[in-house]
Amino acid sequence: MRSHPATRPAAPRALRPRTATGRLLPLILSSLFLFSSPSSAQLHQGQKLVEATLLTDTTAIVPGQPFRLGLLLRMAPGWHTYWENPGDSGLPTTFDPQLPDGFTTGPIIWPLPQRIIEPGDIQVYAYQGEVLLVRTITPPATLAAPEITISAKSTWLVCEAICIPGKAETSLTLPVAPTAKPSHTELFEKFTALAPSDEAPPFTISWTATPTGWNLGLRDLNGPATRADFYPYADETSPVAHTAPRELTNGAADLAIPVAASASVRGLVVLENGARRGWIIESTAATPAVAPAASAATSGLWTYLLFGFIGGFILNLMPCVLPVISLKIFGFMRQAGDSRANILKHGFAFTAGIFLWFLGLAAVIIALKSAGSEVTWAFQFQNPWFNYVIGAVVFVFALNLFGVFEIVLPGRATQGIAEAGGHGGLAGSFAQGILATLLATPCTAPFLGTALGFAFSQTSTVIAAMFAAIAAGMAFPYLLLSAQPGWMKYLPKPGAWMERLKQFMGFPLLATLLWLLYVIGQQRGTEAVIWAAASYLCLGLAAWLYGAFLGPVSSNRAKTLATLAILLSLLLGLGYFTGNLFARSAAALPEKSAARANNGIPWVPFSEVELRRLLAEGRPVFLDFTADWCITCKFNLRTAIDTKAVREAFEKLGIVPMLADWTNSNPEITRKLAQFDRVGVPFYLFYAPGKKDDPVILPELLTEQILLRAIGAQP
Amino acid sequence: MHIVRKATLALVLAASPALAVAEVGQPAPGFTLTDSNGQSHNLSDFKGKFVVLEWLNHGCPFVIKHYDSGSMQKLQKEYTGQDVIWLSVVSSAPGKQGHLSPAETNQAKEEKGSAATAILIDGGGTVGQLYGAKVTPELYVINPAGDLIYAGAIDDKKSVDPADVAGATNHVKQALDEALAGQPVSTPRTEPYGCSIKYN
Repeated sequence: MRSHPATRPAAPRALRPRTATGRLLPLILSSLFLFSSPSSAQLHQGQKLVEATLLTDTTAIVPGQPFRLGLLLRMAPGWHTYWENPGDSGLPTTFDPQLPDGFTTGPIIWPLPQRIIEPGDIQVYAYQGEVLLVRTITPPATLAAPEITISAKSTWLVCEAICIPGKAETSLTLPVAPTAKPSHTELFEKFTALAPSDEAPPFTISWTATPTGWNLGLRDLNGPATRADFYPYADETSPVAHTAPRELTNGAADLAIPVAASASVRGLVVLENGARRGWIIESTAATPAVAPAASAATSGLWTYLLFGFIGGFILNLMPCVLPVISLKIFGFMRQAGDSRANILKHGFAFTAGIFLWFLGLAAVIIALKSAGSEVTWAFQFQNPWFNYVIGAVVFVFALNLFGVFEIVLPGRATQGIAEAGGHGGLAGSFAQGILATLLATPCTAPFLGTALGFAFSQTSTVIAAMFAAIAAGMAFPYLLLSAQPGWMKYLPKPGAWMERLKQFMGFPLLATLLWLLYVIGQQRGTEAVIWAAASYLCLGLAAWLYGAFLGPVSSNRAKTLATLAILLSLLLGLGYFTGNLFARSAAALPEKSAARANNGIPWVPFSEVELRRLLAEGRPVFLDFTADWCITCKFNLRTAIDTKAVREAFEKLGIVPMLADWTNSNPEITRKLAQFDRVGVPFYLFYAPGKKDDPVILPELLTEQILLRAIGAQP
Repeated sequence: MHIVRKATLALVLAASPALAVAEVGQPAPGFTLTDSNGQSHNLSDFKGKFVVLEWLNHGCPFVIKHYDSGSMQKLQKEYTGQDVIWLSVVSSAPGKQGHLSPAETNQAKEEKGSAATAILIDGGGTVGQLYGAKVTPELYVINPAGDLIYAGAIDDKKSVDPADVAGATNHVKQALDEALAGQPVSTPRTEPYGCSIKYN
């Protein structure tokens, strides 16, 4: 050890707080008060590491009137002392005033700490330069003594590369007077501004449980801050690991707070824009919920519900819903001659179908969310069985439009309750409402993405409200038309052409079926498509048998035979082709996914590690979140991404195109989307060179020009 | 390829700060290190015995607290006497506080009266990082099956004052006493306190 004198710390050396001069001063100049103690210096090998001074914000003690007592630590350059939670290493400073009888003290008010990162990713929360720890002292209402001496014991650990403990006992004497003037105003003001704010934060917060702790979402920030940071308070039972500071984008940021599952977290949110301000916030214990600023969050909620409504309305215009829309409009035209009340009933039945679907979906999501699964928008389409069933429904619907069979049941029902006034079609309207929404889900319209991203981090009630808003938005035009059937007059008059139109409508449905088969193919391979198609063929045969031989004019013998044949073909289709062959078809191999993305762009498959590696190298990255069942994604790829100009720009600017393929469920991609509050695709990010924490979010309805501008290839 | 894998591992670790590499209840990560006498030790050499890992830096005031009060040496004597292996690990990088040459390490061991089985020199900090050790002193206890059964602080008094040692609950003593008696460790994880390990 002797050979390493430099690494050996000097014994803690605290100078006596009062030097000989200090002790004499009050005697000589008994009427002169300094409102601060003589400084106590911590010396280490001749260097002054810390200078401790006790001071007050007043020139005199006024009985009964609280004042502030501060411990000022001035550190040598490069050295730091610690916050109340020191972080990975170190020790908080202590500051214990020794007060005369009748005096009381408040807790230490700690200014906002700074994050210091040492080699080995050791992070500490500390102060550099100078720090003032403040306590509020309340004197008794009456004081007999003409002057009061306050002393304080303090200890600290001061560290640079090495750590040295220090301590001081300091004291000061103040006169007792009926009035007092402020003292050390500048210093107290500086550190009061750095104390956690009592005011409501200028942002809303949300807590979302994640596999590694909490996601703290800051939203709707009013103010000029550019960076957000989080400092947890110490918690012995569930220590909180470090949060990486985040740049704010459009007044929003997401902070990942790593902590044991379901542990509550209390800490400081610090916003920076040159100056720093902090607010103390606390998570709920186990269930994520909207915290403190409730009114602000509520106003946010209404905005999001409005977005949900608009998003739902826009769903009507998305290509995947279009076939059903045409169907519905056609239905309205047919009903145009009916009574007003009847039309309104149909409108409500259709609306009820839409609501049932969305609220059912909300219920499923709430259930899965509470079960801890990672659930996201359009997740249903990641399941090939779901796609298969929807395919069957669409196919049967198409056959119905072609006139292969008529659904008899509603007809019978109509006859049976004829006096009720054409109740029969209500079930159909209801079913169409369900089908329309079913097909709408993969088309995440721009507003919907934001609104749902919000909803998924919310309580069950908010999720249900959100989905109801979307349902209302989607149903709105139909409801409007059925309430104001007069407006339907502007639609063409019914006639023989309607039958042709009905048949024609079968083709968009078949096109939808093609798309579903394509997705199934990507998920489970070509064989799965063949077996699904084979079972659809059997289903089609059964539908034809039903239409041709089970009508009211058929003989009983024909009916019996037909029923047998239907059962046989269903057995073959569903039992053999579906239950056996389709079920056994393999999941698409990863190699296939890579080959699939083999268009003109040399995509790199997404992984968080690879992304971080590229960003660490300073490479710009274009990150495309896509899925085969997402038609908007495919459309964007063809028209805006995989174009000659973009390919050339990528190459010229050295941009790495990265593909996050979400066709099948992928938790890593789901998490990445969640980071940006997204629960659906398409989603596009561009990381400009050197902006690895601050990617640009591109619009979901992408054009070549928007993309080229965003990546800087066009002015 | 190896470098890529290493870099990937490092990135994964950096990406998940919440997940310490060494997890209580999981097998303790294996390693090989050379001690101050030039002898190489592999953790698996000690299978079948309790092993204590103690991160050490004689320049750190928190370590000084536990050595100047004699409590650390007492603990080492007590348990090495019961066939427990006590390995002090120095992860300070060369040129930084706490890093000593093998000869200086032995000299310090003698001066301090350390009763550790061996003092391992981890100048590259790899074993420290592998365990996610952040401070000195930081202690780990491994059971005869090779599983980590304790990780954290030496005791529950976070200070540099040697006078605090007497009234403190020593977590390592508690863990070893419970484990040696065949009982589960009641406090398997605590927040370590101390100086940062002087990694490179």
